[in-house]
Amino acid sequence: MRFSRLKLGGTAVGLLGLVTVAACGSGGGSGSSSTSLAATQTLKFPVYQPPGTWDPGEADAEVDTELMQNIYDNLWRFDNNLNIVPDIATAVPSTSNGGISSDGLTYTIKLNPAAKFNNGDPVTCSDVLYSWSRSVDLQGPYASNLSAIAGYAAAQTAAGAPPASSSGASGAQTFQGNIETMLASQVTAGSGSFIPSGLSCSDPETFVVKLAGGCGWCVTAWTLEGSTGAIVDEKAIKGDPVNWWQKPVTAGCTDCMVGTGAYYLSSFDAKQGYVFKAVSNWWGSPKPTLTEIDIDIHDPSAINSDVTAFEQGHYDLIGYGGNSGNLTYELIQSIKGGRFSSDLLTQPKGRTTWLSFNVGWNATGGPFLGESAQAKGLRKAFDLAVDKNGLASQVCYNVLCSAATGGLITKGLIGYLGDGADPLSQYDPTMAKQLLQQYDPQGTLTANLKYSYNTGGINDKVAQYLQNEWQTNLGIHVSLNPDSNASDFISNRLTGKYVMSRDGWQFDYNHPQDWFDNLWGYKATAAGSNTSGFDDPTYDSTLKMADAEPLSQALPLYNQLSQILQQDVVYIPLYYLVGNFVIAPYVKGAGSNTAFDYYWNNISILSH
Amino acid sequence: MLNRGTLIYIAQRVVLIAFTVMVVSFGVFVVVHSLPGNAFISDRLHGKALQLLLHQYGLDQPVVIQYWNWLKGAIHGDLGISLVTRGAPITPIVLKELSVSAMVGGAALLVTIGLGVTFGVIAAIRQNTWVDYTLTTFAVIGYSVPSFVIASLGILIFANWLNNVSNGAFYYPLPWQGTYGGGGLSTLISLSLPAISIGLYTSGQVTRITRASMLEVIQQDYIRTARAKGLKSRRVTVRHALRNALVPVMSIMPSTVLGILTGVVVIENIFTIPGLGKEFVTSITQQDYNLTVGVFTIYAVLIGFANLIVDLLYAVVDPRIRY
Repeated sequence: MRFSRLKLGGTAVGLLGLVTVAACGSGGGSGSSSTSLAATQTLKFPVYQPPGTWDPGEADAEVDTELMQNIYDNLWRFDNNLNIVPDIATAVPSTSNGGISSDGLTYTIKLNPAAKFNNGDPVTCSDVLYSWSRSVDLQGPYASNLSAIAGYAAAQTAAGAPPASSSGASGAQTFQGNIETMLASQVTAGSGSFIPSGLSCSDPETFVVKLAGGCGWCVTAWTLEGSTGAIVDEKAIKGDPVNWWQKPVTAGCTDCMVGTGAYYLSSFDAKQGYVFKAVSNWWGSPKPTLTEIDIDIHDPSAINSDVTAFEQGHYDLIGYGGNSGNLTYELIQSIKGGRFSSDLLTQPKGRTTWLSFNVGWNATGGPFLGESAQAKGLRKAFDLAVDKNGLASQVCYNVLCSAATGGLITKGLIGYLGDGADPLSQYDPTMAKQLLQQYDPQGTLTANLKYSYNTGGINDKVAQYLQNEWQTNLGIHVSLNPDSNASDFISNRLTGKYVMSRDGWQFDYNHPQDWFDNLWGYKATAAGSNTSGFDDPTYDSTLKMADAEPLSQALPLYNQLSQILQQDVVYIPLYYLVGNFVIAPYVKGAGSNTAFDYYWNNISILSH
Repeated sequence: MLNRGTLIYIAQRVVLIAFTVMVVSFGVFVVVHSLPGNAFISDRLHGKALQLLLHQYGLDQPVVIQYWNWLKGAIHGDLGISLVTRGAPITPIVLKELSVSAMVGGAALLVTIGLGVTFGVIAAIRQNTWVDYTLTTFAVIGYSVPSFVIASLGILIFANWLNNVSNGAFYYPLPWQGTYGGGGLSTLISLSLPAISIGLYTSGQVTRITRASMLEVIQQDYIRTARAKGLKSRRVTVRHALRNALVPVMSIMPSTVLGILTGVVVIENIFTIPGLGKEFVTSITQQDYNLTVGVFTIYAVLIGFANLIVDLLYAVVDPRIRY
């Protein structure tokens, strides 16, 4: 038996051919695009987290709200510049247009008669009443956006709590099914225990909201896309109150994901991907040009191969769906150095990262606890010892983040104090050393300190940077306490288990209340999210006043809250996150602002 | 072949597999449910809203009760619901992913046996020639270089470099563009590099064993007799020598299959293949407890039955083996 060299060579060539010759494709790459539309209007991109839930009453993750803003509408929406503009409502309510009563407690909202669900049903006041009441009853993470409405707490009490179940399904069925059943009949009657007393319809096109007290932030919170203010169809939920949101829309379906947005769910493959399609004859504007959106769900570790897939032309963009923080510095540099450099888009995002001291959790203790001059002095020493600009350049290379020098609220948002306006952003190692000498001359208080953080992203490098700064400028060795289990870290952080920890916030809507209610003071303590435990009577009284006032009058009060936090040195400002996208030049209209990706109905694919 | 003894043997093994699966699922269930944190918690979802969800999904119950509830469903083919994609049933998810992993594993097995046996036979027949040296060297390199290195190099060369030098005309496409359990050109293309990455590694071992076994067999008297009777060389090799030479090869198949199954986990993550191996990792990182238990359970079943099948194939290859 003889095997010729030719046969051996043929085997090798065949193996290579299986990979390469068969892989001949249409090719990708950056290049000039014409202004005419491509024949196929399909947008493809990956996301790096599977959907949690697309039920607006229970939604939480950014990846979900970023997608759902294209599927559902609220009464109002944010435009690309974060202005509030009418959506299903005909106007943004104000005292001048009669939408808000003179005492500021009653909102009268006219609905757009053209608004329709994608199953053809018109949107009436009953749908709004049902949707908002349902969001209150479900008691999800964003239910508090509706908390200023009269009767909010009573409706939640009536709805009760979900019973425990063996696998989750039957219990959820009972809870959500019960809410659906009760609400369906009570909405028809116009009132009932599951409906907050402050919500009603004066006619089929007029929705009335009565508040329990003044609320300057409500309209902004109610506008948050894909969340508790979104309008859903009772008829679609009735058939499957638990899983309706993951069922693709088919002709005549009675238990599927019906919304009012420009796109609808066409296929759903849990954990793998999903397809959305444009609603024909959609009632809103601009009319969608993209006919299909194909989204793959990947693990964050797939970012390298996804950039390759982008370069091959398989994906049209990367970073949508709240994933603009996934591109690593090395990848960005690699893209910048290649033929796709012009496809990079950098956009500051509304996320600030700081270090929280334990200020108010007595059980946790530590040298920073309390309001004594010593505790404040030590907090100040640790703050002044950190060069924030150095962190942005050494850890983020001034690409992934920028130094947080203008206060806790990110640049570009209402409440930003201005570049360099935060006194805690200063770097003064000499003063830091003096403060340490003054308040801890023996070094006993600051011995054995730990900085806790969740691993991943740039967090490890940030921790090492901080450790080095304190060692260099204060002569203090702070141990690092990394936690690879993010949920464990969040749980510990929110319950004040750390003396020093990484902390941060991604804004939900463009209003300072979103920051000051949720992170410090009595409201955050009650909600179980006061990491530092900072609570102060002046802070609380100022917060109450600020929350009740219209924004123009509230802004100085919110600035006072910033000053209180700064004077008490409750935090060390670290950095503002910068988002990085790659978007093919033929994708017209795609982009992002501080909050969200531009709506799909603004995007089109040009010939390429 | 399927005589009474074989059937009893199969029944015993199936019972053993069921017991093993139960032990594995219980162990994994207890471990993952004992981990701190959960799939729900976030900066927004905490406090009362979190407690409601944990209660609703039964996660505030004792672990043993949770396991008992899970087991009752699992016996009926219901592996529970996902906690990350809330409410999504797990059984169809893992079955879909299994179909992808089966394709990847099957293709890798084909490469392993195809290359390994072929190269082993050729190397034995052409002993101490340049062909033997080349193939033996190839085998040594194959099992010396881990599959993830081969995979990464493959991506670098065929997906990146080739795409760049050909200006987008030729490349290995990323990500996975195959279909669930289906054929088609796109599936075949997407399968090629992952299968070769795993197969090159495992085929190295098969090449060595096959070569050694063949060398021993072709020295036997009955082979010499067959040649003396004038049989064609190919017929002697394939019909007489190879069959007996495959018995030792079969002995390493359980470890080879296991190597492929574990290799699939790594390779699926490198190539972003939506299979069970990828889910194995992501379900853990995302703390999707039920899915993690489901994936482990499926893997336990797979490994159990893969070993059973290999054991049964012994009897096919070697008639002396009886059950």
